[in-house]
Amino acid sequence: MLHLENEIQELRDKLLSMWDLVIKQLDKTDISFKSFDRDLAMEIQETEKRVNAYELTIDRACEDFIALLQPVASDLRFVLSTLKINTNLERIADIACGISEFISDTDEDVNADIIAHMEADKMLDICIEMVKDLREAYLLENTKLARTVYKRDKMLDKLNDVASYKAIECLDKFPEQRRQTLHVLSIIRKLERVGDQSKNIAEEIIFYIDAKVVKHRRKEKDN
Amino acid sequence: MRHKIETKNVDLYYGDFHALKNVSMQITEKTVTALIGPSGCGKSTFLRLFNRMNDLIEGVKIKGEILIDQKDIYKIKKTEVDELRRNTGMVFQKPNPFPKSIFENVAYGLRVNGIQDKKKIEEQVEKSLKQAALWEEVKDKLKKSAFEISGGQQQRLCIARALAVEPEVLLMDEPASALDPISTSKIEELIYELKNNFTIIIVTHNMQQASRVSDFTGFFLLGDLVEFDKTKKIFTNPEKQQTENYITGRFG
Repeated sequence: MLHLENEIQELRDKLLSMWDLVIKQLDKTDISFKSFDRDLAMEIQETEKRVNAYELTIDRACEDFIALLQPVASDLRFVLSTLKINTNLERIADIACGISEFISDTDEDVNADIIAHMEADKMLDICIEMVKDLREAYLLENTKLARTVYKRDKMLDKLNDVASYKAIECLDKFPEQRRQTLHVLSIIRKLERVGDQSKNIAEEIIFYIDAKVVKHRRKEKDN
Repeated sequence: MRHKIETKNVDLYYGDFHALKNVSMQITEKTVTALIGPSGCGKSTFLRLFNRMNDLIEGVKIKGEILIDQKDIYKIKKTEVDELRRNTGMVFQKPNPFPKSIFENVAYGLRVNGIQDKKKIEEQVEKSLKQAALWEEVKDKLKKSAFEISGGQQQRLCIARALAVEPEVLLMDEPASALDPISTSKIEELIYELKNNFTIIIVTHNMQQASRVSDFTGFFLLGDLVEFDKTKKIFTNPEKQQTENYITGRFG
């Protein structure tokens, strides 16, 4: 294997490890959110430091890769996309950490009816699937799979759009638990951001593999 | 990691010209060290210290210590200089095969060193050509003249010739500057492989090459060693402004 190929493989492995860690964070967030497991929520916050360290390591590795190997063409697109995906993953992990802080800071468990009515649990499931599919798409260099997140991002946008109305319904229906409703609404806003970050990652995968810039296009055929 | 080579406060004069000024450097075993700097900065002069090739130039005066395996190579007996040169192979800018067959080019050093066993020579020739990543390309034409192969192949043949006598140190003076990009890439890959077994010092004008192949880099300017550090450090955040200016092409 060529020296350059070795370095690409090492960088790819580092990013995949970061991806695995972020997926674990999301899986834990899912469990702790649905069962209000505060210990697990604390664990997520503790692990956030590792995610940050990973981000710095990959940033540095990309810097070295560019400075020392002067990549061009697909190798250049690979390192540029890796750099951006790294940032997006770290932000997703930040969001998971933010949700876990809400779980660990609240004294009482959130009424499951509020969560179900506002479909926050459904949104979390969609987010996790998106991030997992994107990892697969990156690993297999499968842009078709990467493009499948666009539809789900739109779905998240719609759920986010109607969340305010659903929150009003919950405020009426559960007047004693107004605080909880507002917390769930803020979690929904965060999950919508995970959708945006996932879409960004998909765009980077397409840029790397197909050499196409698809971001900021108003009408996507894939949608 | 062990230091294979060390220079301590080395000064070198060509007559009145002060070509190397108080240069101290430690070179780690089984690594690649690149020497960079503008023309006339002293990098090739520094390289030629290690096989005492500067001795051949009239009016050269050297001060300081130059140690290989802790032994000052300028304090050895004259008879030991041949042994030193056997132990430090050298590859030059332009491929310089002998006007002999491919096989004989590689076997030459072995014969000069008194090896006569035909089988041993054949084995060593094959091993060296494989180490130089040339075997597959020439195994069916070993008896053909070395001048019949391409420039890039000739340069790898010269590397095989240097490796045949099993040196520990390999000195390379711009080994790829006369080659096309494909041959250059092959030489660079070869250097990357060879560092597992040899301590390599390479002089290059090509900074990208230095960054790609080396573990350590030394930047020379007007005979001074301005900066010596890990290649990663030199090419991402050098300590000295002069180094930064040179590697970013802002050097006047």
